[in-house]
Amino acid sequence: MPRIKIDHNKCTGCRHCETACSLNHVAGVANPRRSRIRVFREGTTYFPTIAGPFVDAACTSKNDLIIGDHTYDMCLICRASCPEKPFFIEAETGFPLKCDFCGIPPSPSCVRWCNSGALELVED
Amino acid sequence: MHGWIGRCLRVNLTKNDFKLEEISQELMNKFLGGRGLGVKILFDEIDPMVDPLYPDNKLIFVSGPLVGTGAVTGASCNVITKSALSGTIACAKLRGHFGAELKYSGLDMIIVEGRAEFPVILSILDDKIVIQPALEYWGRTTSETENMFKSSLSDRWAARDTYLLSIGPAGEKLVPMANVINDGFLSVGGAGIGAVMGSKNLKAIAVKGNHSVTVADGNRFVQVVTTLINKLNSAPLTSQSMSSWGSAFLVGLCNQKAILPFKNFQSSSFEESKQIGTEALSSAFALRSRGCFACPIACIKKADVDNRFYKGKGMAPTYLAIGALGLNCGITDLTNIGIANMICGEMGLDPVAAGGTIATAMELERKGLLTKDSLKLDLRFGNGEDLIQALTLMATKKGHVKRIGRGAKALAEEYGHPELFMGVKNIPLAPFDPRAIQGMGLHFATSNYGPHHLYAYTFIDEVLNVHEKSDPWTTEGKPELVKRFQDITAVMDSLGLCNWSLMGLKFNNFVPLINSCLGTSYKAEDLLQTGERVWNLERLFNMRAGFNRSHDSLPERFYNEPIEDGPAKGQISKANEMLDDYYGLRGWDNKGQPSAEILRALELESRDAKNKD
Repeated sequence: MPRIKIDHNKCTGCRHCETACSLNHVAGVANPRRSRIRVFREGTTYFPTIAGPFVDAACTSKNDLIIGDHTYDMCLICRASCPEKPFFIEAETGFPLKCDFCGIPPSPSCVRWCNSGALELVED
Repeated sequence: MHGWIGRCLRVNLTKNDFKLEEISQELMNKFLGGRGLGVKILFDEIDPMVDPLYPDNKLIFVSGPLVGTGAVTGASCNVITKSALSGTIACAKLRGHFGAELKYSGLDMIIVEGRAEFPVILSILDDKIVIQPALEYWGRTTSETENMFKSSLSDRWAARDTYLLSIGPAGEKLVPMANVINDGFLSVGGAGIGAVMGSKNLKAIAVKGNHSVTVADGNRFVQVVTTLINKLNSAPLTSQSMSSWGSAFLVGLCNQKAILPFKNFQSSSFEESKQIGTEALSSAFALRSRGCFACPIACIKKADVDNRFYKGKGMAPTYLAIGALGLNCGITDLTNIGIANMICGEMGLDPVAAGGTIATAMELERKGLLTKDSLKLDLRFGNGEDLIQALTLMATKKGHVKRIGRGAKALAEEYGHPELFMGVKNIPLAPFDPRAIQGMGLHFATSNYGPHHLYAYTFIDEVLNVHEKSDPWTTEGKPELVKRFQDITAVMDSLGLCNWSLMGLKFNNFVPLINSCLGTSYKAEDLLQTGERVWNLERLFNMRAGFNRSHDSLPERFYNEPIEDGPAKGQISKANEMLDDYYGLRGWDNKGQPSAEILRALELESRDAKNKD
C-alpha cells in the first residue's frame, strides 16, 4: 500500500504542498485553508500534517510529546480535526476534508510539489 | 479577475479610520501589481518633495498577482514609500509568508496615510480590521513583538496562521537606516522604510484570512509549476548551492573574482577566505533551511546562537551580511558577523546601510580623522565586538552614537571627508566592488533605489554565466545587460516573483506561468515593457524629488584608485563612461530626463508626465 513518508527534519515550511492540494481539489483555487495538508510550525521545526479522521468531540486527555530537549503538544501533530483543533474543515460549507491521494499517479499532488524531500511516496 | 484580489485597504492613522477600495482593472493591466502598482499610487498621491518622515508621506504594502497562487517563488510583497535615508523612492522586498497571507486576508494592497497619535498595530484578522493601541509593544524587538502579539490572541490555532510585519527599536527611534522585518526575515532593500513606519507610529501589521486566490487555467497552471520545479531542481545553482548555504556560497566565488570588498572598499582581495567560506558557515551555525511561501529553493538559513553577547535564533548571515557587516568592516569572524546580523533583525536595522556606516567610521578612525573621544566608542577595522556594540547603540540611539546613527554620508561629511562615503544617493553600496564588475557598477550608479544589487542582478550573467556568458571587466554590452536586468527585476517584483529564481530559470520560462495564472496572453516583450514603464515612472519620481545626472555617479574612489592587488589588479570602474550609452538606450536625454517619446511609448503621458512644473 502506498504511503506518504513525512520527514520533519527536511521540511522548510514553504507550504507549497498546501497550495498544491488546494489547486488540485478545486480547479484554479489556491487557499491553504481549504487544503487537506497543513504545515504547523513549532520553534524552528515544521510539521506537515495530513488530514485524518473527523471527530466531533475533543480528547478528554492531553498528551505531551518529548523529542530531544523539546516538549511538543500532541495536538500539534494529531491528524484529526476536532472542536479543539478545527482544521481541515471547508470554511464555506462546513464539509470535513480528508486526504484522498489526489493528483496524477504515482505521486499525490503535495508530494510532487515538495522539493525539500520532506514528503515522499513509499511503497511497501 | 484571476491572481488579483482587486481590493485595497486605505488606512488613515491621523483620523483613526480606514476604508476598502476597489483597484481598477486598467491599473492592474498597466502596472501588473506589486511594485508597479505601488510606485504608481505613490507617484500619483504624494508630493515627491515631501519630508519622508512627515505624515504626508504614504506607506504602501502591496503583493503581486502571482503571490499566494502557488507560482514558484511567488512570495514577494513590496513596501513602497519615500525613503528616509535617501529621499528617493524606496521599495523593500518582503520575503517569508506575509505577502501570501495578505492576499488570503482578502487584500492586494494596504495604503497607510497620516500619523497615529500613539503607537498602534494594524490587525487584519479574518476580515476584522482593527487599529489597536500598542503602547506595550513600543521598544520591543521584532521577535518579542511577534511573540507578544500571537500570545495575545485568544485562539492559539489562529495565532499559528497569523503573520506579522513589524519594526524594531531602530524604526521607532527614526534611525534612517531602519528596516522592516516580517516572519523573522529582514526585508531586502528596506533601508529607510522602518523609519517611515516609525514616524507613523505604526509598530506592526498582522494579517490572517480565509480568502481564496484564483487562477485562470488551473490545470495548465499546475503543469507549468511542476515543470518549473523540475527545472529549478536540475539547475546546480538553485538545487545545490542556494539550497545548502543560501547566498553565502557566493563569498568564496566573489573573493576569487576580487568582487568582495574589504575594509570600506579599500581593497578587494582577502586572503583568509577559508575562515568565511561555506564550510566555516556550516561549522559556525547549525543551518536549517527555511523557505519563503511556495519556494522550492529555500535559500534562507536559520541558525542558533548561544554565547555571551547573544542567545537566540535568527537568520544565518547571507552574502549581504557577510560582505556588508563582515568583510567591509574588516571582520572575518563568522560568529560575530552572525550575531551582528541577528541584532540587525531584532532591532530592525538594514545590514547594508548599518554596515556601510560603521565601515566609514572605521576608515575615518584608521586615518586618524576621528578619535575615540568624539564618538565615545571604539571602532577599529576587524574588531567584531566594536561592531556589535555600535549596532545596538545605533538602533537604540543611546550614548554618543547619535552621530553614526544618521548614516554613512552624514558621518563622512561631519568629519570633513565626504569622499570616504562609499555609496550612491545616500545609501551605502551593497558588497560588490564595482571596479571588478562593470555592469553592476553601472547599475549601482543608475539605480532608482540606490546601489542595491537585487534590483538588477547582473551578477547572474557577469560572473555565474547562467543565461549568457559575459566578462565582468569588459564594458561591452553592459548598458544593454543592465537595462535588461533592471526591467526584468521590475516586472518580477511587480508580479511578486523572487529574483533568485533567475539563477535556475530564464525570464521566458515564467511567461506561461504568468499567462495561465492571470488568463492573459502576454509575450515576454510585453512584460519587459511593463518593467520599463515601472522603471521610468520611478525615475520620474526621483527627478521630481530633486535627483538628476549628478546623482548617477559612483564614489570617486572607484574611478581614481585602481584595485591594488589580487586577481583584478589595476581595474577601475568605467560606469561614468557607460552612462551616456545607458541613457541613450533608455531613451533619456543627457541630463537623465526621460524624453517625451519614451513616455508616450510607455503610456506614461498626461498626469504622469507633468514633471517639469
